[in-house]
Amino acid sequence: MENIISIKDVTYTYPESKKPAINRLSLDIYRNEWLSIVGKNGSGKSTLAKLIDGLIESETGTIIVDGQEVNEKNIWEIRSKIGIVFQNPDHQFVGATVEDDVAFGLENQGIPRDEMVKEVDAALKMVDMQDYKTRDPQSLSGGQKQRVAIAGVLATKPSIIIMDESTSMLDPNGRKTVLDLVKQLREEQNMTIISITHDIEETELSERIVVLRDGEVVQKADPKAIYDIGRKLTNYGLEEPFSSQVAYLLKDELKLPEGYLNEEELIENIWKLSSKM
Amino acid sequence: MNKLILGRYLPGDSIIYRLDPRGKFLITFYFIGIVFLANNVASYGFLLLFVLFAVYISKINLGFFIKGLRPMLWLILFTVLLQLFFTPSENPLWHWGIFTLSTDGMRIAAYIFIRFVLIIFISTLLTLTTTPIEISDSIESILKPLKVIKFPVTQVALMLSIALRFVPLLIDETTKIMDAQRARGVDFGEGGIMQRIKSFVPILIPLFVSSFSIAYDLAIAMESRGYKDGEGRSKYRVLSWSKRDYMALVVMLLITIILLFIRSY
Repeated sequence: MENIISIKDVTYTYPESKKPAINRLSLDIYRNEWLSIVGKNGSGKSTLAKLIDGLIESETGTIIVDGQEVNEKNIWEIRSKIGIVFQNPDHQFVGATVEDDVAFGLENQGIPRDEMVKEVDAALKMVDMQDYKTRDPQSLSGGQKQRVAIAGVLATKPSIIIMDESTSMLDPNGRKTVLDLVKQLREEQNMTIISITHDIEETELSERIVVLRDGEVVQKADPKAIYDIGRKLTNYGLEEPFSSQVAYLLKDELKLPEGYLNEEELIENIWKLSSKM
Repeated sequence: MNKLILGRYLPGDSIIYRLDPRGKFLITFYFIGIVFLANNVASYGFLLLFVLFAVYISKINLGFFIKGLRPMLWLILFTVLLQLFFTPSENPLWHWGIFTLSTDGMRIAAYIFIRFVLIIFISTLLTLTTTPIEISDSIESILKPLKVIKFPVTQVALMLSIALRFVPLLIDETTKIMDAQRARGVDFGEGGIMQRIKSFVPILIPLFVSSFSIAYDLAIAMESRGYKDGEGRSKYRVLSWSKRDYMALVVMLLITIILLFIRSY
């Protein structure tokens, strides 16, 4: 698989702290994969996202994004390839209306107005928010705001989308619409998705989970292998999946297969048991 | 809290709404200027008729304009009373100590009152029919010549529009902080004036802190979307100057000529 981002030996320490937030971290991210980055608060997840986008500068090591090294010279080109959707929908709205906000990234690139109008419409259509074009962001729900934020990111046609806990402030419905949208976008637009999250459902959608602790990668595996850890997932800042909790409580009473089962598999197995009895 | 928002915009549609905001902005200031040219009953009456006509074609209920007077009520009352009782006169109707009541004083007081009404109505008409963002766009457009002396017009305009955008958010934030403190027993409506002012200090500090954190988040978000320094950006919102805007200017010119005529009559 081809790397779209390769991070090599990167260290970053916040000015006010003694301990590095990211400590000699190396990681390859493949083109068109959906990668989840998980970890407890302060494990360096968001710092990593900022480093990839060149919003902060690493002390050591190199980061290569789509063949270009992140440095002063390439930074604007790299930023145009990466779209970040942040946690708080209210804190990333620049425009006074939905359409103005979606246009912000395009305005920054100096795209002529006629083209912008088309791009804004297309981006709003992709996230199914075209009916809200002239609305004031304050009048939207959290999920709608995040969809507009995604439209703003899509308008500039990035190849990588970073979701920095983008669904953590949304209600279950809002979260579902945003995740469905991201899933669909990845399939249709061939994007690479990096989601920084605490949400177990979000990691289930991804192909690979990277666990950070104290600025280092401590685990790298597909979701199933990570969920096998079961009880200890809380050490990684993740909640144990519901099915795994149920399986753990049942393990003394019933004979269930080893390893992680998702909800459907668990139900299937319990059914089989009861039909044997 | 929401009543505090300055320049409330009232969504609607009429010829006044459709005028170019730059024109409306300049005309409003121009009109405020020529109000001071009026010097007799006929000229004040003429301007009042014009303003009422503008209100009529804006299709906005007159009630909104009268509400617009309310925050200025004390100032108006004070000024009018001052004129009423302190205008020196040769043949006063009534005289007591420093107070003098005369027909002249009454006339001047009435003029001052109408002057207030005219200025407040016309500026209310501007803010009711123009969104804050349109106003900030017109300010940018009007200030554009200042680029010659290296004044950062585009940056200032963006600052202005972001500030406007964050007013409701900061009001929400304030309400949240106040609720959080009420939940812990703070009573904002109690005590003397000093006590009440003091109880606002614990609101200001968290509000400051959260404003800074919002500003930091926003700066990061803007930078990640490729915002550099305001140069080389294109504009999504465009203002278009059309025939009716020229018409509006012609109307203003006619108003001025008629006013000058009535004035010297």
